[in-house]
Amino acid sequence: MSLPDRRDPPPAAVGVRQPLVDGVDKVTGAARYTADLAPRDALVGAILRSPVAHATIRGIDTSRARAMPGVRAVVTGEDCAVAYGVIPIAQNEFPLARGRVRYRGEPVAAVAADDPATARAALEAIELDLEPLPAVFDAAAARAEGSVLLHDDKPGNVERAVEQTFGDVDGGFASADLVREQSFHYAEVHQAMMEPNAALAAWDAERGRLTLHSVTQVPYYVHLALARCLRLDESAIRVIKPFVGGGFGHRTETLNFEIVAALLARAAGGTVRLELTREETFLTHRGRPETDVRLKIGLAKSGAITAVEAEVVQRGGAYAGYGLVTILYAGALIHALYRVPASRYKGFRVYANTPPNGAMRGHGSVDVRHAFESLLDAMAAELGLDPFAVRRANLIEAPHRTINDLQVNSCGLAQCLDIVERRSRWRERRGRLPRGHGLGMACSHYVSGSAKPVHWTGEPHAVVNLKLDFDGGITVLTGASDIGQGSSTLLAQAAAEVLRLPMSRFTVFANDSAVTPKDNGSYSSRVSFMVGNAAIRAADELKRVLVAAAARRLEVHPDDVEWEGERCRVAGTDRELAYKEVVTEALRDTGTITAKGAWSTPPETQGGRFRGAAVGSSAGFSYAALVAEVEVDEDTGMVRVVGVWVAHDCGRAINPLSVEGQVQGSVWMGMGQALSEETQYLDGLHARANLLDYRVPTIVESPPIDTSIVEAPDPNGPFGAKEAGEGSLSAFLPALTNAIADAIGLRLDALPASPDRVLEAIVARRRAERLRRAAKPVPQGAD
Amino acid sequence: MERLPAFELRRASSLAEAIGWLAGTPGARAIAGGTDLVPNLRDGLGSPPVLVDLSGIAGLDALVAGDDGVRIGANVTLARLASDAALAQALPAVVQAAASIAAPGHRSVATVGGNLCVDTRCVYYNQSEWWRRSNDYCLKHGGDTCHVAPHGERCHAAYAGDLAPALIVCGARVEIAGPDGTRGIAIEDLYRDDGRAHLALGPGELVAGVVVPVQPPRARSAYRKARARGAIDFPLAGVAVRLSADAGRVASLAVGLTGTNSRPLRLAGTDAWSGRAIDEALLADLGKAVQKQVSPMRTTLTQANWRRQVAAVAAQRLVRELAEAIA
Amino acid sequence: MGKRLVSLVVNGRLREEAVGDATLLLDFLREQLGLTGTKRGCDGGECGACTVLVDDAPRLACLTLVARCEGARVETIESQSAGGRMSALQAAFHEKLGTQCGFCTPGMIMAAEALLRGDPAPDEVAIREALGGNLCRCTGYVKIIEAVQAAAGVGTPGDAPRRADATQATR
Ligand SMILES: Cc1cc2nc3c(=O)[nH]c(=O)nc-3n(C[C@H](O)[C@H](O)[C@H](O)COP(=O)(O)OP(=O)(O)OC[C@H]3O[C@@H](n4cnc5c(N)ncnc54)[C@H](O)[C@@H]3O)c2cc1C
Ligand code: SF4
Ligand code: FES
Ligand code: FES
Repeated sequence: MSLPDRRDPPPAAVGVRQPLVDGVDKVTGAARYTADLAPRDALVGAILRSPVAHATIRGIDTSRARAMPGVRAVVTGEDCAVAYGVIPIAQNEFPLARGRVRYRGEPVAAVAADDPATARAALEAIELDLEPLPAVFDAAAARAEGSVLLHDDKPGNVERAVEQTFGDVDGGFASADLVREQSFHYAEVHQAMMEPNAALAAWDAERGRLTLHSVTQVPYYVHLALARCLRLDESAIRVIKPFVGGGFGHRTETLNFEIVAALLARAAGGTVRLELTREETFLTHRGRPETDVRLKIGLAKSGAITAVEAEVVQRGGAYAGYGLVTILYAGALIHALYRVPASRYKGFRVYANTPPNGAMRGHGSVDVRHAFESLLDAMAAELGLDPFAVRRANLIEAPHRTINDLQVNSCGLAQCLDIVERRSRWRERRGRLPRGHGLGMACSHYVSGSAKPVHWTGEPHAVVNLKLDFDGGITVLTGASDIGQGSSTLLAQAAAEVLRLPMSRFTVFANDSAVTPKDNGSYSSRVSFMVGNAAIRAADELKRVLVAAAARRLEVHPDDVEWEGERCRVAGTDRELAYKEVVTEALRDTGTITAKGAWSTPPETQGGRFRGAAVGSSAGFSYAALVAEVEVDEDTGMVRVVGVWVAHDCGRAINPLSVEGQVQGSVWMGMGQALSEETQYLDGLHARANLLDYRVPTIVESPPIDTSIVEAPDPNGPFGAKEAGEGSLSAFLPALTNAIADAIGLRLDALPASPDRVLEAIVARRRAERLRRAAKPVPQGAD
Repeated sequence: MERLPAFELRRASSLAEAIGWLAGTPGARAIAGGTDLVPNLRDGLGSPPVLVDLSGIAGLDALVAGDDGVRIGANVTLARLASDAALAQALPAVVQAAASIAAPGHRSVATVGGNLCVDTRCVYYNQSEWWRRSNDYCLKHGGDTCHVAPHGERCHAAYAGDLAPALIVCGARVEIAGPDGTRGIAIEDLYRDDGRAHLALGPGELVAGVVVPVQPPRARSAYRKARARGAIDFPLAGVAVRLSADAGRVASLAVGLTGTNSRPLRLAGTDAWSGRAIDEALLADLGKAVQKQVSPMRTTLTQANWRRQVAAVAAQRLVRELAEAIA
Repeated sequence: MGKRLVSLVVNGRLREEAVGDATLLLDFLREQLGLTGTKRGCDGGECGACTVLVDDAPRLACLTLVARCEGARVETIESQSAGGRMSALQAAFHEKLGTQCGFCTPGMIMAAEALLRGDPAPDEVAIREALGGNLCRCTGYVKIIEAVQAAAGVGTPGDAPRRADATQATR
């Protein structure tokens, strides 16, 4: 380790383009993901899945499987009678189906065997006795009168109906100069993170202890679910998250295979590796639901929004999961991007016989944002307003409290708009591109962590420990799950900044429940904001201890110590101490030092008092504006994205390199949903459960993304920072369809804009135009 | 971690040996690059007791240009085909088609023979064993009804190899080696319009190579592939065109199609257009002919009608572009 | 089925191993040799995560029968760093943030390595073509292209990031 010269100014860590602290491991292949960890003698787990969409389980005969040589354990729904689910009030899923199966692919039994072939043969030997029930595959069918019920306590298959009104909606529409209403449809999409699901469970029969390695974003929630489902004391469980190959919300709740692996390990009395195929990973679903949006907006001539009304129906799949949060987000985040003086929201979260949905990146907000930005764009055109102008007419000025009680303390949207307008050369080019080429824009925003955690325990939202030892090295102990977004790097940067020490003094150790402090996990972009703040506080605390030690050695008051990290000085003198000397002094009586920092969201940011008010509330909102340029082939319906310009307000870029990477990844994922990605079921069978038919964009058609960072510091954020990993995603979808409208005058109301859909829309429009012309004789002289 | 059904791998050192093993072992299959066969075996689509590895057969990877054309051995890889500068001049459609297949990691090992004999595809077929079983299998493999056309007797799985249409328009012939010796047929005769048995190969017969005649002096060819993404994907429709023209008039026109039927097609009726001006009227007739002769079925999740339309558009565009290039 | 002996050179080391006829190179590398840098991302041929070099050409280890690799020269991500130092590609992926979660990275780097061996100064189109079969779900590919350009010395020079000096403890 090379340390900087003692005379170097103390290094800045925040604002530096910092490669990932675990990047070397990733590029060298040394990084170990769950599937890389299995010991040679681990048993092989495999899951038997329901072939039918809806049925009563009359019986499962496992006797033949159990009798097979090399089969070490067979488990079924009989082995776990406790329902789990991420929302404490909506737990209705079992790791292995009990009584009923509700979707094709639902786990019904599992085996652990000596090798994969034996495991497969054992699955073959299990006999399912299923009595089919009628099944429903979309929200309309599920809600229809007399439809079969998936859960007996949910009439109409409605898991949650939301109705919220804020302000004078009717008055708002009445005073509007233009009111328009439109319906939109969005296909279901999936995270398709590159690492397939896997878990490694080890049962210590002698001591009754379980160790689980898994691909999770939320090791703490997994820990709770394991304790619950296996009826173990929480302290008998250790959950470790190794390197994880992406998540994007697929892994923000405990997933069935994690519990199944644990059940198998206990039943077999050993270690079980359970590696799902790509198809099974798709069947574990947890993506963004198929969604219908009906949206109505009122605008004044100036472009100012007077009222908004939205109805959203989500097909949530067979179990609750995050469902009620998703449907609440869809309504809540209509707000906090623009000033909305009045709104009415109706949301329906509907059960159907498809795999359960989850909290995918941009949770709840993406489809509604598309509808909003599309309709706004079309209405602006009717009013003769430029798309930028209509957004500027509705900007929030922070601090601002929305009518649904969200607290906005910083908003850099105005700068975002200026930047993308300039960088895309919007004014020079818009309206002057050849036919088939178009420019479109849109805005978006997102929360920096939900202000109220899912599990309300009264504990702080985030805790970080710093361990300082004899060597002067500082270990950042965190439960925050780095799943590729760079949170470990950010925490080291935050601590380094406060302590003014070089990054080389830091080591990050994350996600081992036996060692690291509990953390709620990586979701709703909470990590940089909340855990970042906790890291700052931990570093402040450590600094206080070090400054006190320095003061002791220097025999001055701590206030007189000037702290510069590698050295410190008595103010106004040249009496100095080197860092190592301070460490020696600090450890003298106490030994190894652990400094702790904790953080919770301020109460005023935790939302209002109405039912569901917590969802959408956040201590800080990020903002983004985006311009997309497209080329549309009107003969084939193929849409090519020529370029993207995005500006994202992340408050403060603690690591600009990482912010760019996060923003680009978000925008690009939005592109996938907008252009080519969708799941699809044939009678409930997932027909795109592979990476050929689930069309994640390749590098060939992925556009350059011009990325700008805007810093409107948030008073609550760590160094002013807000989230960067989700907010710009949802701007892409409407920017794309707005660009298509600019290119060929066609407004798409369904996504993805796959070539067959686009061509169908073009052909339908031509047909309609022909009919119109035929019906109305063309006046002389017109063409 | 065995992900494939067990089989015995036999490495043939000569065509005769390979043919002998294939003819003598019921269910035995040839493996060339394996980029089509291995994923299918992983999906449980077949469990051959023996795989006959063709990669060691001497001479099968020869690529020889002679006075009477080019002979492309069955084992020539797509990567080699795609990067051959001389071929790019002589047979652009073939080279473009080769370069458009899958991705570099496949093309480095995928072969011409394997590509010509690639299995037909269908959304009800290219699925896991669990999936197909849950759906009661289908006519093509293990079941007795077709989910695409339940009342029909046949399988409509689509042939989606990219090379075949390009070779068709270039007038290629296939050399087939089998227990009874070697025969040569026009490439379109290698195929049958049956998704379940689309290759007109007898037991033990193998594609040994393709012979592409010298192209007419003023002829130009090109290949265009419609797919959702810029790489990896099979063609939803693929079109090859070879055109020779004189003063804005068709001298000869050949159109080959893939991805739309259970076999690659040569568009019928183009001979009648010789002498016609290459104008909008001709292109309209071409578009109609393509739309009429292709018959995409619901074998892909992309709408069948879209495949029909883009096939026509691609054909029209290629003819227009080639005519401009010739002029 | 029985096993056969194959001899092949993996990352410069001659290996003689008993393998099943139906064993995939991917499982051989990961399970038998413990070279877990090569990843499995799909059910066969669709993602590129398993890309390795066989006799200098990019190959999908998940579609390759190891029994057919007799005499072959196989290179995996583990061969890239010599003496514990990163290769130019690895350094560029690290410094330019061509890797986020890292799961696609080994395959990406090996596909890029195959490209650079044949074309040391590729243009952007060539880079996109060469990596066409390697899916990445994190980066949007922008920084991957920058990383390959930087490694090849053909990029537009941006402000150079510094190497990470902090570390993450691994288990
Ligand atoms: C993700 C993915 C994407 C793909 N995209 C495309 C695409 O865009 N276009 C496309 O055309 N293909 C595509 N393919 C399929 C395949 O990669 C190619 O068709 C390839 O050219 C097949 O050649 P191969 O040598 O690997 O064939 P193999 O897999 O070895 O063989 C294919 C079939 O041909 C038989 N066979 C092989 N050689 C002979 C011979 N000499 N005589 C008789 N029979 C023989 C085999 O028994 C087998 O049935 C894709 C595959 C994957 C996995
Ligand atoms: S076309 Fe019919 S028979 Fe053929 S693979 Fe598809 S479903 Fe099966
Ligand atoms: S693992 Fe996906 S291509 Fe090999
Ligand atoms: S870095 Fe995560 S998939 Fe590429």
